[in-house]
Amino acid sequence: MIPALEFSQIEGGYEPGLPILRGASLSVMPGEIVALLGPNGAGKSTLVKAAAGLVPIWSGRVTLGGRDITATPAHRMVREGLGFVPQTENVFANLSVLENLLLAAALVPKARRGTIDAIFTLFPDLARQRKLAAGRLSGGQRQMVAVARALIASPAVLMLDEPSAGLSPKLVGLVFERLQAVRATGVTILLVEQNVKAALAIADRAAVLVEGRERLVGRAADLADDKRLAHLYLGGGLEEA
Amino acid sequence: MLQLVADGLIVGSVIALGAVGLTLTYSILRFANFGQGEFMTWGAYLAVSALTFVLAMTGGGVMQPIEPFSFGWQLLVALIIAAVLTALLALLLDWLLFRRLRHGNAITLVIASFGAALALRNLLQFFYGTLPEYYSREIQISLRLVPRDVMGGLRITPDQLLVIALTGVVVVGLHLLLTRTTLGRAMRATAMNPALARVAGVDVDAVVRATWVIGAMLAAVAGVFAGIVGQIRPMLGFDLLLPLFAAAILGGVGSVWGAVLGGFIVGLAESFSVPIFGAEYRAATAFLVLIAILLLRPTGLFGEKR
Repeated sequence: MIPALEFSQIEGGYEPGLPILRGASLSVMPGEIVALLGPNGAGKSTLVKAAAGLVPIWSGRVTLGGRDITATPAHRMVREGLGFVPQTENVFANLSVLENLLLAAALVPKARRGTIDAIFTLFPDLARQRKLAAGRLSGGQRQMVAVARALIASPAVLMLDEPSAGLSPKLVGLVFERLQAVRATGVTILLVEQNVKAALAIADRAAVLVEGRERLVGRAADLADDKRLAHLYLGGGLEEA
Repeated sequence: MLQLVADGLIVGSVIALGAVGLTLTYSILRFANFGQGEFMTWGAYLAVSALTFVLAMTGGGVMQPIEPFSFGWQLLVALIIAAVLTALLALLLDWLLFRRLRHGNAITLVIASFGAALALRNLLQFFYGTLPEYYSREIQISLRLVPRDVMGGLRITPDQLLVIALTGVVVVGLHLLLTRTTLGRAMRATAMNPALARVAGVDVDAVVRATWVIGAMLAAVAGVFAGIVGQIRPMLGFDLLLPLFAAAILGGVGSVWGAVLGGFIVGLAESFSVPIFGAEYRAATAFLVLIAILLLRPTGLFGEKR
């Protein structure tokens, strides 16, 4: 089966000569939720930003459904079928909720465009707030708008960078519940998370990234009980675990 | 009193249109474009050339005014041609200069725009000379709208009334563009967060080009309006530069309605300063308004802290 999203030996970073990604490889199969875990500074966010076209890739290859998207400009990724929800500042605060969605919908071909009604069915809270400026919403509601904005372009793969950051445990539960509903619609999800427990609870598989490359990949249920996971978070190597 | 209000609104219309262009380019291109005044001058002069061309093509070479105005339909066609040519000039300038500097320091862009403004002004004087030009030499009799015994009375020419009305039409049109179209939403999104706009699918480079086009067209319209109610001079735009900045900052940089309101406030302030300080200090009023805003409310009336 062709992976929905595949990273092969990715090297890259913000500044030339200062690599953050050092040969990262990962496959995400269609319909999966894969959690990308790792300690701070491991390169998790950089990897998804690189896939989204926001961080230069120096070598290696990113494919989406088998198509090479390594050199695709960031603004073309949505049309290619790759959605991305950044960690912070992920809504257009000066646009209303509805305008956020209308803009995202207008930027993809009609055949790919989701309907506002379908989005509001998935996120009923947003329907009530449609005319409110997105910047005036609560953290959880903003996260919903950000996910909804990415979903209205009907992505084949949705990448989320720490959607639980800054949210209360109750809201984290709500956001992750919505993500499961999103997966049920056939969207493949790559989830960057610091909240390991919550991420492993909804993921099918998980990968642990350390110093810019994957060190541990496996079924989420297995990794939840794997002592090597905690060891990698604490800065140790697999050999020592 | 009423006459001062009317004079302020006429000047304010020109300032408002120029300031809207300035505030748009600032919020999306992220630098203060000192060339905005020169786009106004170029727009006004290109309309002179376009008018000559249109008159030559339509035979006779003489413009028949549409009563009660001082100009004919040919000036409206010339205005459209001038706006398009000014937009092309802005795109050329972006391609030659600003595109290469965009990823550097904002100060570099500001200084580059200052240099571009000097070059544009001198180039314009080279092509058109320094003598004033007029779209029409028809003498217009102003209409008395309010008798003299009511708050000093009010006289205004049909051209001046049209300029105020058309400014309203242009601003409402721009508002609809920004709020009801995908381009407008993409422009507002890019102004807010260019990186997010990219991942949301906005072609930011295309938005930048659209911003240059819209900003330059607004400047050209403002320049032609200034020429309709006054003279067309090589220093037309330069002399309005300070009021433009004062209006954009007063309204809150990035706010279209703020720039419009700021334009009218600066226009009115200039107008009301004449009987108090004398006409020779009229231009200094914009300075005072600018200093007052920076001291009292640096974010302007509708501006937000960034």
